[in-house]
Amino acid sequence: MTISWIQASILGIFASLSSMPGMAGSTIGNYTLGRPLVGGLVCGLVLGDLKTGIAAGVAMQLVYIALVTPGGTVSADLRAVSYIGIPLAMVAIHSQGLAATSTNAADLAKSMGTLVGTVGTVGTVLFYGTATMNLVWQHIGWRAVEKGDFKKLYAVDWGYPWISHFIFSFIPTLLMTHFGSSAVTALKTALPMDGIPMKTLFTVGALLPCVGIAILLKQIVDSPLDFIPFFVGFTFAASLHLNLVSVTVVSLIFAMIFYKLDMAISTNRQAVPSGTTSTIDDDEEDEDI
Amino acid sequence: MDNTEKKTISRKTLNKSFHHWFYGHLTVFSQEHMQTFGYLTSMLPIVEELYDNKEDQEKAMKTYTAFFNTEPQLGTVIVGVTASLEEARANHGNVDDTTINGLRAGLMGPIAGIGDSLVVGTLIPVILGIALGMSDGGSPLGAIFYIIVWNLLGYFGMRFAYFKGYELGDKAVGILVGAQGKAIRRAIATVGGMVVGGVAATWVTVKTSFKLTNSSGKAYLVLQDKLDSVYPGLLTALFIVACWWLMAKKNISPIKVMLILVVVALIGVLLGFFNPGLSY
Repeated sequence: MTISWIQASILGIFASLSSMPGMAGSTIGNYTLGRPLVGGLVCGLVLGDLKTGIAAGVAMQLVYIALVTPGGTVSADLRAVSYIGIPLAMVAIHSQGLAATSTNAADLAKSMGTLVGTVGTVGTVLFYGTATMNLVWQHIGWRAVEKGDFKKLYAVDWGYPWISHFIFSFIPTLLMTHFGSSAVTALKTALPMDGIPMKTLFTVGALLPCVGIAILLKQIVDSPLDFIPFFVGFTFAASLHLNLVSVTVVSLIFAMIFYKLDMAISTNRQAVPSGTTSTIDDDEEDEDI
Repeated sequence: MDNTEKKTISRKTLNKSFHHWFYGHLTVFSQEHMQTFGYLTSMLPIVEELYDNKEDQEKAMKTYTAFFNTEPQLGTVIVGVTASLEEARANHGNVDDTTINGLRAGLMGPIAGIGDSLVVGTLIPVILGIALGMSDGGSPLGAIFYIIVWNLLGYFGMRFAYFKGYELGDKAVGILVGAQGKAIRRAIATVGGMVVGGVAATWVTVKTSFKLTNSSGKAYLVLQDKLDSVYPGLLTALFIVACWWLMAKKNISPIKVMLILVVVALIGVLLGFFNPGLSY
């Protein structure tokens, strides 16, 4: 399997659309096209092998299920995972002659995903590259605001960032997917699956989602007591084997009790809650990178 | 100036403002001004409709040059609130720069907190979780399901937040950060906490391959089984709490925590604590 210039260009456009400050907006871009599951569908269609694409996408989505970017705290930008990692994983699966839905194919996809996306820090470099170059457009924007030339803001917000993405999303994706296929084969000889580097890589792949979960916890947990809902949910899934929808449904009853309780307390007291201001300050600090 | 007529923002302009935010809140992101320009492009149609003369427009737009960043989906409500405040200002209400920016700064923290646990921590993992099951075995069904469900919820949810914010105006502040806001946040944090726990137990697996064998090669201590008999998923939970502790209590950045995990993985593999058991 090879990736032609045309196929590589299409992947490059999707990388530009799907990154964290992407050109499709965060709802359609980062949170839809940027998810490896959807990336697998797109790559499968572009490379003409839907089944392998989806299988690789599912495998990589598992690594990055919780590694989302609350408040911009993590720059593990998924454009590199979804539009460089998945196509290369598909090539690797083909060149190894593995069945698309086999466990080995999924393992291979996971290792490519962690390698390209995070350990290889491609995503991080692309993220900071784009964000830094956007400073130039913002500078043009500030000049326009000073002069009262407000129409220019549309070009600053919707037009110029395409240039940042051409350089930091399109070109890297184009080159890495087109020339990457031979590198993938070379990688297999250089790093055998049972060697220390590959074993480490896979272990990292299993540990990485812990960071994503911990970032979400940081938003929710202020005192050790706040860990209780987390462990109740964890127990439901791990010990009672409830699926996520069921866990959500059960959690609603607790949410309702807490809400009614808090409201009852505050109406009884009729006092201004004193803790409000300090909570706001804490939350704001979380927003700063 | 003749002020007998009350100025109101037309439905068409509100729609335009909403779509500008829906699309452009992060397109020109930088570390210095994250969503500021998205906010400016979103307020521009409103400012242009409310003020006829250039000077007033410039004065109004200057208000929104202050730094802004929050959870973008739920944060739409803040844009709606400021649209209504801008309308009040245009009608010579008791609103100035300080009121608007104080409110924006006061809301973006709490909204980010609710939004992250509601949208990023709960909604997306749940839809993705269902979708992953549907796509097992290479079927595109799950991916298509995710695209449709998430985008419908995202678009209409954000639309609802915008118009609700506009309708409530500064009353939204009381709801979001007052006693009721506190109660809502605690309720949502409970749902978020439990779902995140469920996500962790369902999709994150940290396993050790460490075992002790006797002279005939039979394992008499399989550490993973022992740990799971104490509490299923104990090792996974310990790793998550350790990551939380490093970030929340030791103020180590997520990137550095990831690098620490790389080192932990390498040492673990060398000691035989971790072994993913791979083969081509």
